[in-house]
Amino acid sequence: MVGAAEEVHLNRLESQVENGGGGAWEYLCLARKLKVRRSDKVLKFGLPILNDPRARSKLGGEEWTLYEQVAIAAMDCQQIDIAKDCITTLLKRFPGSTRVGRLNGMLSEAKGEFAEAERVYEQILEKNPLDQAIQKRKVAMAKARGDLSAAVELLNKYLEIFMADYDAWRELAEIYVSQQMYKQAAFCYEELILFQPTVPLYHLAYAEVLYTMGGLENLQTAKKYYASTIDLTGGQNTRALYGVCMCAFAISQLAKGRSKEQESADLQSLAAEALLKEYKQRAPDKVAILTATLRGMKLIS
Amino acid sequence: MGGDCKYEIRQEAYVKLVLHALKHRASAVNGLLVGRLVDAAGSGSAGVQIVDAVPLSHSQIGLLPSLELALIQVEEHYGAQDLSVVGYYQANERFNDEQLSGAARKIGDHIFRYFPRAALLLLSNNYLEALLKRKVNIPVVELYTRNSSKSWERAGLGLEQSTELTIKEPSAFSILLDYISSEKWQEIVDFDDHLDDISKDWLNSNLFK
Repeated sequence: MVGAAEEVHLNRLESQVENGGGGAWEYLCLARKLKVRRSDKVLKFGLPILNDPRARSKLGGEEWTLYEQVAIAAMDCQQIDIAKDCITTLLKRFPGSTRVGRLNGMLSEAKGEFAEAERVYEQILEKNPLDQAIQKRKVAMAKARGDLSAAVELLNKYLEIFMADYDAWRELAEIYVSQQMYKQAAFCYEELILFQPTVPLYHLAYAEVLYTMGGLENLQTAKKYYASTIDLTGGQNTRALYGVCMCAFAISQLAKGRSKEQESADLQSLAAEALLKEYKQRAPDKVAILTATLRGMKLIS
Repeated sequence: MGGDCKYEIRQEAYVKLVLHALKHRASAVNGLLVGRLVDAAGSGSAGVQIVDAVPLSHSQIGLLPSLELALIQVEEHYGAQDLSVVGYYQANERFNDEQLSGAARKIGDHIFRYFPRAALLLLSNNYLEALLKRKVNIPVVELYTRNSSKSWERAGLGLEQSTELTIKEPSAFSILLDYISSEKWQEIVDFDDHLDDISKDWLNSNLFK
């Protein structure tokens, strides 16, 4: 989950390094901290540091973290030999380490040797049955092999034990969405909202799933969660603003002719107004399209 | 809907969708195809011209809100030029996944309701790799159309043998290679990006300037 400001910072660093302005180590640390997947750049910037003994020694203990980071990036870019070299170096330094063992397993995965990877992971799990990283590797492997029902099963079992692993709940929700299992995805987001009620992302994701499920009740609930997203983000979230408008319109379409209590139209008109204001300021070329959109939803005249 | 139908995709549309897929290599991407129906004068067979592509998202494909919003806004913008949504493209997340997903079919069905010659284009990751690594000149998309039993079928197979997709401009391949070497995909914007930052232009009006 990367915030907008962090992403801008990262991108700026990236172009700085690309254009020879230095800052590679800063970039690599930030990429690691934000857990972004920019393997081509990580490999490009990280490998020269590892290959330069002086630059490497400057890193001190962090050198090994870089080896790990570059190994994973190399695997992602299918540069198996580079990954292998990094892992070999790490094994020499940390023989018998489960952390390096995980990298070995990942290497087999990268080569498509899933049975071998499975073997490596089982070995580690025998000694450390509660190793979270390895358990998650098994899920990743199932996903990579296209066996999504196995991934779901494994992830559910994992969450029974590690129920506070928010990222795992999110991953499960996303797998469910990709399989169009919206009810189950909704359940995951409900859990996340219970755990962390002030994280707007979960409210937004929940609203989007509910909207997708459709039906009057879901739309009404979706509208509430779009509204709470607006609340939690100080009205800055475009998706939530649009969401409120779209829910209001969809609800009016569904409830047509039925006598419904006059729901206050304030929320959607405010959202429409907020959108218009934002677009006029930051996307003036799209104001006409927005106006037509809102008019079509009967939110403006 | 039987009968042959020729689908022609303009270079701009084709290049955009490939760049979109290249920008987000670790996830699925999708987008809308915009164009018009053409009646090949005299020959009696219909044709569809795919004039432009609008990249939609690179995450959570299968959720409705941004898709619906994009459909409204795309129709609004292109309607003025007498163009409408004529299809949909998708690239799958996993390298070996060459299946047209359930979500793609559903979206295709929806577009079909408004445009019965709707085209679904599935990017082949294998062909994309061949293009990138070995500069092989084959279209990286596979065309799917609705057959008479209401399911999506790959063109060129079964009864619809004369349904095919051609890329209009022969220069498309070299232009694409050019853009690949200059990493042009960094500049492509999809509807998702726009929703994250409305100053980003999902029409990509300045992409080819």
